[in-house]
Amino acid sequence: MTRSPAAQLVRTVVISAIVLWSLAPIGIGVATSLSTQADVQEIPAHWLPHHATLDAYRSLLGGTGDSRAGGTVSESGAFAHAMWNSASITLMSTLAILCVAISAGYAFARLRFPGRGALFWAIVATIVVPVFTVVIALFGLMADAHLIDRKLGLVLVFVSTTTPLAMWLVCNYVKGLPAEPEEAALIDGCTRWQAFWHVVLPQMRSGIAALSAIVVLSVWGEFLIPLLLTSTSASKPVTVLIPEYVGKYTTNYPLLAAAGVLALLPPAVVALVLNRHIRGMLSGSS
Amino acid sequence: MDRPEATRGGIVLEGVGKEFLGGVVAVRDLSLAVEPGEFVVLVGPSGCGKSTTLRIVAGLEAVTVGEVRIAGRVVTGLPPRHRNVAMVFQNYALYAHMTVRANIGFGLKMVGTPKRETRARVDQAADILGITNLLDRKPRQLSGGQRQRVAMGRAIVREPAAFLMDEPLSNLDAKLRVEMRAEITNVHRRIGAPTLYVTHDQTEAMTMGDRVAILRDGALEQIGTPLELYERPVNIFVAGFIGSPAMNLLPAKLDSSGDAWHASIGGFRLLIPPKARAALRPFAGREVLLGLRPEDFVSTDDVRDGKHGIIEATVQRAESLGSELLVYLSINDAAASRPLTVRLDRRTAMREGTPARIGVDLQRLYFFDSHSGAAIR
Amino acid sequence: MGSDICKREPHTGGESSGPSRRVDLAAREATRVGMLMVAPAVIITAALVIYPLATGFETSLRSGDTAVGGQPRFVGLGNYGDVLSSSTGRDAIAHTLVYVALAVTLELALGLIVAVALHRVFRGRGIVLAILILPWALPSVVSGVLWRRVFDPDSGLLNSMLAQLHLVSHPHVWLASRGWALVFITLVHVWGVLPLVSLILIAGLQSIPDEVYSASAVDGATPLRQFRYITLPLLGPSIAVALTVGTVWAIKIFDEIYVLNGTALNTRSILMEVYNTTFVNADFVHGTAFAFILTVVTVLFAAIYAVALGRSRT
Repeated sequence: MTRSPAAQLVRTVVISAIVLWSLAPIGIGVATSLSTQADVQEIPAHWLPHHATLDAYRSLLGGTGDSRAGGTVSESGAFAHAMWNSASITLMSTLAILCVAISAGYAFARLRFPGRGALFWAIVATIVVPVFTVVIALFGLMADAHLIDRKLGLVLVFVSTTTPLAMWLVCNYVKGLPAEPEEAALIDGCTRWQAFWHVVLPQMRSGIAALSAIVVLSVWGEFLIPLLLTSTSASKPVTVLIPEYVGKYTTNYPLLAAAGVLALLPPAVVALVLNRHIRGMLSGSS
Repeated sequence: MDRPEATRGGIVLEGVGKEFLGGVVAVRDLSLAVEPGEFVVLVGPSGCGKSTTLRIVAGLEAVTVGEVRIAGRVVTGLPPRHRNVAMVFQNYALYAHMTVRANIGFGLKMVGTPKRETRARVDQAADILGITNLLDRKPRQLSGGQRQRVAMGRAIVREPAAFLMDEPLSNLDAKLRVEMRAEITNVHRRIGAPTLYVTHDQTEAMTMGDRVAILRDGALEQIGTPLELYERPVNIFVAGFIGSPAMNLLPAKLDSSGDAWHASIGGFRLLIPPKARAALRPFAGREVLLGLRPEDFVSTDDVRDGKHGIIEATVQRAESLGSELLVYLSINDAAASRPLTVRLDRRTAMREGTPARIGVDLQRLYFFDSHSGAAIR
Repeated sequence: MGSDICKREPHTGGESSGPSRRVDLAAREATRVGMLMVAPAVIITAALVIYPLATGFETSLRSGDTAVGGQPRFVGLGNYGDVLSSSTGRDAIAHTLVYVALAVTLELALGLIVAVALHRVFRGRGIVLAILILPWALPSVVSGVLWRRVFDPDSGLLNSMLAQLHLVSHPHVWLASRGWALVFITLVHVWGVLPLVSLILIAGLQSIPDEVYSASAVDGATPLRQFRYITLPLLGPSIAVALTVGTVWAIKIFDEIYVLNGTALNTRSILMEVYNTTFVNADFVHGTAFAFILTVVTVLFAAIYAVALGRSRT
């Protein structure tokens, strides 16, 4: 296609708008987090703080700042603990989901065994069931097993609700890989399992990177499930803690924004580092 | 190298059939034996079941019926690793994450060969194929030809009881293909394991195979040495498949008047040599298919009485290939709809649109039953 | 399997194994390994998804009061009727439909613009794509929190901006009015989902061969006509996938509402209503019934798109 200067200009404007639209809320958040409560209450509002300060971060992480500003409560250390909860829950869930989904996804893609089609569709069909419907029913079972407000309980729920989608992605991905290296390995003396371990898994590296990223992002960002299944700092992740900073009458925006910025750092880093792999897998699945 | 298993027996397929889910029959009642040390090429048009056959021997596909034996041992139903075969794939199927050395040595590692022995054997294989300097590279740093050699190395290092190759040269450019053709033949002579080689390229089949098996629609049409296939094709399919350009097939009528037998096509008659008459007797007075190979024609100047018959036709097109001249002639006969392809000496003068008189070697006429397509002989 | 009689060691020479070895060891190995490898996923899905769904469905068919003693009374679809006839329930359904319609329309329209702008190679494209992904990576709770200051009635950035432009005379309480609240919550939701929709559409655009465009340009098609008659039809499957993703995500909208407006009645979605019924009012049976209604609606949408997708691919 030939492009006129006008079309070129339109494209530049659109691309700039996309970048602005994607970054603006994050920018506002960072600016707010560096402001004081006085800054953000000024009318008309200022986009940028008069003097950037790390007070919000200090009070959030239990340092010297005024932790009761604006009527919201920030227990010292609670935020750091919630971050730790989020990190450990995400890590455990991701590891478990990867193991289960990769092994099943590969087997459904490449091995023939009785019941393969029926089992595959039974699992994949649950992707469309809203997670909440499952969790509501699981709640009673979890309470009986004393798994409420425990990290293990959350991990179990994440594994069961995320595995079907992850498995489906793996299955599609494996079907797109050439079968010959694996067949060569079988001829070279491997059992099915050895071929999977020595040849297929290394072949899947990019897909596994993408899948890990997708799982990490979805588990880290999950809100409703932990909102229901956690009640104390023993297991409460950062996504559940953050809304508690919203005050009934006034909100300590710098504190809230600082919490948001810290909570978005890990997923943002994951997304930026692995974005090429993520794009590869998402486009492959459509 | 001492290779007891390779000498015990070759590759034997007996009544092998393969039907895929959904009822597609890929291979039907195929029996075939590759003798120890022999190089057999499976050739046929795409979809003829040749690759499936190879994968059945490798154990990558299960048979529906029949039996496969390798080195005297029944392997039907065994997983590939228990068959002691090696296979070279069309796209090489190298392990992308391993070095060349690890690629070649992988099979030895899997069967628990001691490290030092593995090293020595990999070095030896690399030496045979001239890739010693590539041993520390990863596959993606190699050219197509180099990858091909690594794939070969991976196959020979294991000293398998049988060698399987699935169109190993089809991803290479024309020049490299000719080189590797010779190379594979040399390696085979050196290793001596029975080899089953699949290709769709008849030149590869003819130049490489000790014997060539021609498959169509999953069934074996003919197996024999390249010369046998060329000179004594069992039917029009084999006749048309082997040889390039393909054999001309013309409907002809057999006229017997006493001792002189003629095949008449349109306006001209070709004298049938006496030795062919016995087989043709049942077809006297009927129509048959006459096969004429393009290379069995000569230009008018070279015609010798008694040896050649004469055909008169109009030159449609003449293509010079440098070394020879391809001429397409239209015969003045409605029944011969396709032009007659003729290969002549490169210095022959042919003008398009003009009539031409050419000779055909009467000793080299092929006859086929026009209904069944089977050779008459 | 009962064919152990003909079980044979793989390496038994085989001088006369007979022409019919009935045991396919290779197939048997594939079966064994395959079943082992899918077992964890099957067990987890069965025990933690399908079984709870079944018991949950059973619960939704019984009355909530156990005071009668022992087993709660079987009421059939009674709970479903209650939920659908309650005014908050019907409002929640209406709100959800608005969310879905608004979100999907916006995502598709904006997604097409983004995809057309970004699918061709240009300098810095990698960076722009990386930035594009960011909103999707953020927890929706966090994006809700970041947007909150924009809509704050007192010191919010939106009111401030509009006041400076003299478009409003007094601060607007955006999230208290039903219309604006639904629009802004949808906007925050779209901010998070647009990256995914755009990536799906970009992949779709990249699968259209360039020759098609060259050919149509030779035939004299203008860019707009090319978009209408080539891009859109060929993009059909990707659009169907994007629609599915957009709908399924919008239909269970919750986090953004919770963070921006809590359980306020004017913005309650179905899921918010389910949450409120079940965990705030502790009414499990009605909550569960409503959750299953949500499930059925989701499955219906997914099925419609699946059919559309199947049709657009043939």
